[in-house]
Amino acid sequence: MTDIHPSTVLRRRPDVRYRRIEGEAVVLRQSAAEVLVLNGVGADVLDLADGRRPVGEWIDVLAREYGADREVDRETVMRDVLDFAAEAAAAGLLEPVTAEDDG
Amino acid sequence: MSLARLMATAWRQNLLVSVLVELTYRCNLDCFFCYNDLSLKGEPLSREQYFRFFDELRDLEVLHLALSGGEPLAHPDFLALGARARELGFVVRIKSNGHALRGELARRIRDEIDPFLVEVSLHGATAATHDRQTRVPGSFERLLANLAEVRALGLRVKLNSTLTAWNEGEIEAMFALADTLGLPLQVDPEVTPRDDGGREPLAVTPSRDGVLRLFRLQTERGRASDAIIPASARSADENVPVPTDKHCGAGSSGLAVDPFGNIYPCVQWRWPVGNLHSQSLRQIWQGAAGLAAVRELTTRAKGVVESHGPRGFLLNFCPGAAAAHTGDPLAVYPAALQRRELLEQVLAAEARRPLLPVVR
Repeated sequence: MTDIHPSTVLRRRPDVRYRRIEGEAVVLRQSAAEVLVLNGVGADVLDLADGRRPVGEWIDVLAREYGADREVDRETVMRDVLDFAAEAAAAGLLEPVTAEDDG
Repeated sequence: MSLARLMATAWRQNLLVSVLVELTYRCNLDCFFCYNDLSLKGEPLSREQYFRFFDELRDLEVLHLALSGGEPLAHPDFLALGARARELGFVVRIKSNGHALRGELARRIRDEIDPFLVEVSLHGATAATHDRQTRVPGSFERLLANLAEVRALGLRVKLNSTLTAWNEGEIEAMFALADTLGLPLQVDPEVTPRDDGGREPLAVTPSRDGVLRLFRLQTERGRASDAIIPASARSADENVPVPTDKHCGAGSSGLAVDPFGNIYPCVQWRWPVGNLHSQSLRQIWQGAAGLAAVRELTTRAKGVVESHGPRGFLLNFCPGAAAAHTGDPLAVYPAALQRRELLEQVLAAEARRPLLPVVR
């Protein structure tokens, strides 16, 4: 499984297509012809995975968005986001941006 | 939430998910039973208008975009429009007759559009039958060569066919051909009137025996494939009934557009509800009286199907086809009644099958 840190920069893989319905995301991995449904937080992560912002910034955004309402501390948000990002990378939804990609 | 529940939500809340765009009615084949209204006149949408339309689709969070025709590859801006669709993140399907799908064009489609799926029409298992339907000699051999080429390029391809009186005798061979090619084949058992109401295509309506043979074959093949789908590939709630208020998503989660900008609730239901030359899609989607009427009719269509009892779903009722056959989108047309009757026969035979293989 990909090792994900707050400094890791991830992007959606090129064959991933998704749209939100009622806050959730219908996700299609074209290469695998696989359809997934992600909950609202998973959909937010897909939005945030633009290949520019490191995962740490996602954590800040999601902690602000969900932390206060649900009384979840930043540490918990960080753990959940890192776990989800690693799972999403393993599932072929996200991929790390490398130095060569930037260059 | 399961995918089925999300789609039910889209139907209920009128969230546009899928759009089919008929780019042109030009075609390099001449299929006898083509449903396009080739007499339809109007100002074709320009490349810029398509770009604006696609931007609107993106803003409305549309997921699926099908490029169709006529033959969509015959549109002069096909590659530019497909590439724009890819850039905007749609799941792109191309519905083509496959005749021009080769060489540089096929490679550019893969590289510049990266479609999720290319749906190609197969009309028979032999050149005699296929070419009889396309009315272009050599089209069958060329299709087979093109299919091999696009498969080698790595494009995902699916075969579509309509059962007709001319090809029903070789339906088993068509599935065998598809298996040999390593491609899925979907066969529609119903020939429909042309979009302008013309009934000439109905001259090749398949026979009752032909439809029954198709249903038996599909059931056998479904049974065989069910046996090899691992349980892990099924979602936990896929068998949980999903409450819906409508019979289908026509005009609620989907719509279709013809080359002249006319908007329809779906590709089958040819009731224009607006035109992109004079209105934005958002104006049509949110304000068209015709679309509101269609949504109401799909709600009533659910009641029509339910009035046929617990097996009403076997009608596979289509309000668009009903409108084409009878003028009334709520009228259960003879082909639907025949479908239910034949499917009940097939299901009854299935129920009599032994649960375990008989050892002799």
